[in-house]
Amino acid sequence: MPLTRRGFLESLTSTRSRSPIGDVIGARGHEAYWAEQATGQAGQTGQAGQAGQASQGRSGGAGRGNRPALPEGVEAIRISSNENPLGPGKAVLDAIVGKFPEAGRYPFNSTPSDAKLVDTIAALYKAKPENIVLGAGSQEILKTAIRAFTSPFRPLVTAAPTFENCTQIARRLGHPVYEVKVDSQLRLDLEAMLTVVRGAGLVFLNNPNNPTATVHGLKTVADFVQRVRRISPDTVILIDEAYHDYVTDPEYQTAVPLAMSEPNVFVARTFSKAYGMAGMRIGYAIGHTDNVKPLARLKMPYNISVFGIQAAIAALGDPQHVAAERARNTEVRAFTVKAFEDLGCKPTASQGNFIFVDIGQPARGFRDACAKQGVMVGRDFPPFEGTHVRVSMGTMAEMRKATAVFKEVLRPTAPAAGSGSRGGGRPGRAFPFTR
Amino acid sequence: MLSRRKFVTSMGLGAAGVTGASWLSARGREDAVWSLLEPTLEAQAAPASAAAPIILSSNENPNGPGKAVLDAVRAAFGPAGAEPGRYSGASGPLIEALAKQHNVKPENIVLGCGSTQILRSATHLFTAKTKAMVGTIPTYEECAGYADMMGHPVRAVPLDADFNVDLDRLADAARGAGLIFFCNPNNPVATYVGARATREFLFKVNRISPETTILVDEAYFDYVTNPDHATHIPLAVEDPRIMVARTFSKAYGMAGLRIGYAVGHPETIKKMADWDSGGGTSSLNVLAMQAATAAVGQDPSVIRAERARNAEVRDFAMKWFSDRGMKPTDSQANFMFVNIGRPVKAFRDACAAKGVKVARDFPPFENTHCRISFGTMDEMRKAVVVFGEVLGKPAAAVA
Repeated sequence: MPLTRRGFLESLTSTRSRSPIGDVIGARGHEAYWAEQATGQAGQTGQAGQAGQASQGRSGGAGRGNRPALPEGVEAIRISSNENPLGPGKAVLDAIVGKFPEAGRYPFNSTPSDAKLVDTIAALYKAKPENIVLGAGSQEILKTAIRAFTSPFRPLVTAAPTFENCTQIARRLGHPVYEVKVDSQLRLDLEAMLTVVRGAGLVFLNNPNNPTATVHGLKTVADFVQRVRRISPDTVILIDEAYHDYVTDPEYQTAVPLAMSEPNVFVARTFSKAYGMAGMRIGYAIGHTDNVKPLARLKMPYNISVFGIQAAIAALGDPQHVAAERARNTEVRAFTVKAFEDLGCKPTASQGNFIFVDIGQPARGFRDACAKQGVMVGRDFPPFEGTHVRVSMGTMAEMRKATAVFKEVLRPTAPAAGSGSRGGGRPGRAFPFTR
Repeated sequence: MLSRRKFVTSMGLGAAGVTGASWLSARGREDAVWSLLEPTLEAQAAPASAAAPIILSSNENPNGPGKAVLDAVRAAFGPAGAEPGRYSGASGPLIEALAKQHNVKPENIVLGCGSTQILRSATHLFTAKTKAMVGTIPTYEECAGYADMMGHPVRAVPLDADFNVDLDRLADAARGAGLIFFCNPNNPVATYVGARATREFLFKVNRISPETTILVDEAYFDYVTNPDHATHIPLAVEDPRIMVARTFSKAYGMAGLRIGYAVGHPETIKKMADWDSGGGTSSLNVLAMQAATAAVGQDPSVIRAERARNAEVRDFAMKWFSDRGMKPTDSQANFMFVNIGRPVKAFRDACAAKGVKVARDFPPFENTHCRISFGTMDEMRKAVVVFGEVLGKPAAAVA
C-alpha cells in the first residue's frame, strides 16, 4: 500500500539527513564526483588541496592522488564510471583540432554554430530544431527537468537503484521523491511505479537502467506511458536512454517516436557513453515541442563549447564508429559476464556498457581490494551495496587483467602466510600481489 | 521613443510581461539578435563579402587563446586520444592554479560553464519574489533576464549623462534588494568605475542594505588601462556579501570553451557550488579546464600584450568615430558604445550586408548608440571603411 502523500513527505523531509558526501555528490554529479575521487581530485569546494600536483600532467590530468600506490608497472584500470575506454576516435579529435582557430568565438558565432548541432540532431530523427534542447551533458537536462516538472506538491517518481542525479536534485530542492525498488530481476518495477504515479510531477525512467543494466522493451515502455497517462495525465515522463547504443536486446527500441507523438514524454540522450565523449559534456532532450519547451526555458545559454559542437556533429556523421563500439562492448560484456559466472557470481541481464553482479559480499570490501591492484570498480548502490557491484566494461585487454584480479579477490587461492583464519574473499583485507 | 524613465518603470513592474527580457534570458546575452530575431543576417552578409565576416558583435578576443593553450587542449586528448571519453578530474588543478593566481584558497573559488553559469546561479540564490535583482540599464542582461524568468523583480537604474554608473542611485535602489549586479567595466556601455569609488560603493551598500549580495562582474578586467584599477577579489574573500565573477571568454580568448568562475567568501562559494548540483565539473568540459589551467599558467606578459593590442585598436576606432562627430563613451573594455545618431538596426543591417557584424540593440539606446567590439587592427581598418560607407560621413564633415 502506498504511503499517504503527507506521511511520505514527512518521511522524506524530516528523517533523511543528508550526509556530507551526499551533498558533495549532489553538487557535482555522480560520475564526475567519483571520477575525481578516483583521480584524487575532490576539487570543487576546496578539498583539492592535497591532491594538487599529483594530478598534473599525467595522461591528460588523470592523477593518482588519494589512491594507494600501485606496484611498479601496474596501470590503473578505470572501470567505475561507465565510460567508453577508447574515447571518441580520430574523426572527432580531428574535428576538435580543426576548430582551434575559433576557440575565441562564442558558440553562436562559430562555424558550425550551436544551432547547427541542433539541426543535425533534429535531422537524425526527422524532427525539427524546436524538438531538441541541448544540455551540458544529459545531467543538465535531468537537473532542468526536476526544476521544471517537480515541486513541493509534485513528487519525483524514480527507482532504487537508478541514476541518482534526479533524486539528489529533487531532495536538494525539497521536492518529495518516491523511490521504487527494482523487481526481483533488478528491472525497473513499472507496476509498482504506477501505484505511486498519481499526482507526480515527473517519472524518471532510465532505460537501460544504471546501475542494474536491465532494459525494458518498447512495448512495455509504451504501455507504461499509456497507463501513466490514464492515471495521471499531467505527469511528465523522462526516459533516459544514455546507454541506448549499447543495447542488443531486439525487444528494445528507442522511445523517441513516443516522445515526439505523446504528450508529456521526452527522451534524454548523451554523447558521454558509446560516443566516448564524457569529458565534453554534451547531451540533449528530444520530444514534442510542448514536452521540451519547459526545458528550453531553463537551459543555460551556450552550454556546449565550440569544440563540443564540432565534435558532436562529427560523431553523428560517423555511425560506423558507434556500431563498432557496440560490437566491441558486446564481446567484452559476454567475456566479463562469463568470468563472473565461472566464479559463481550472477550478473543481471546486462544491456549497458557495465554489469551489475551479485558477488555475495559487500561491494566496498571488494572495491577496496580491487583498487589495491589498480582496478577501479563502481561505487555502492543502495539497497544492493551488501551484495552487488557495478563493473564497467573496459577494453578486452583491461577486462582480462581485471577479471584475474576479481578472481583473486573473490576466490583467493594462496592462503596468507601465518594466518589460518582468513575467510575467503573477506572484504577489506590486503591481498598479496601475485601479478 | 521610450523614455528612459518609462523603460525603467516597465522593467521594474512588468516582470511577467517583458517578453524581450524573457527571451533574452532563455537565449543568453551575446546570442540575442543574431540567431533569432534576424535569422537571415548571416545569409545577407555572406554574398556581399567573399571572405568570412568580420565579427565585431560579441566582445571576443579576435586572436583566440594562443598556441600554449591550444597545445594544452591537444595534450588533454591523452596519449591514446581516449581522455575526452572520461569524466574529468581536471577541476582541482584549475582551481589550484586560480587560487594561486589570485592569492586565495581553493574554497574561495567555484567554476562555471562560462561566467554565465555563475551569474545565473547567483541570481537564483540571492534573488526571490521579495528580493529584487538590481542593475543598471543597460548592463549585461544575464542576471536581469534570469530573475525576470523566475518571476523575481528587477530594478533597473539609469546611468548618468556620460553613461557611467550612478553609484548613489544604484546604492539607493539596493535597499532591501537580494542582489546587485555590478559589471565593471560595464557592458555594453564600456565605461568603468575606478577601484576607489567601487570600494566605497561596496561599503556603502553593505552599510545601508546589509542583506544584499553584490556580484562584481570583472569580465573585462584585463582590458582596463585606467591607473585607478584593482580587483575586488580581496574584499570578496573576506565578505560573504561580495562575490567577483571572472571569465576566460574575453582577454584570455576562450569564449568558445565555456569557462568562468566566481571568487568569494567560502560560505558564499559553498552556496554556489551546492546549488550547481549537476553543475560544477559536470557542466565543464575537460578540454576547457585543461586549457584554462594552461592559460593561467602563462606568463602575465601574454595578457599584458593583449591589453596593449586592444588599447591600440581602441584608440584607433574611437578616434575614427570622434573625428566624424560621433561620440563614443570612455571605453575601458574591448568594445565601444558610440552615438551614431540613428537607429542601430538599420546601421547593423547595412554593415552586415557588407560583411561586418556589429552588436544588437541595447535599449533604451537602440535609436542612437551602437556597441562595436574591437577586432584586430586589420579588421578595424576594413570595418571603418564599411562604417564610412554606411554612415556617409567623411572625417570632419560633421561639426
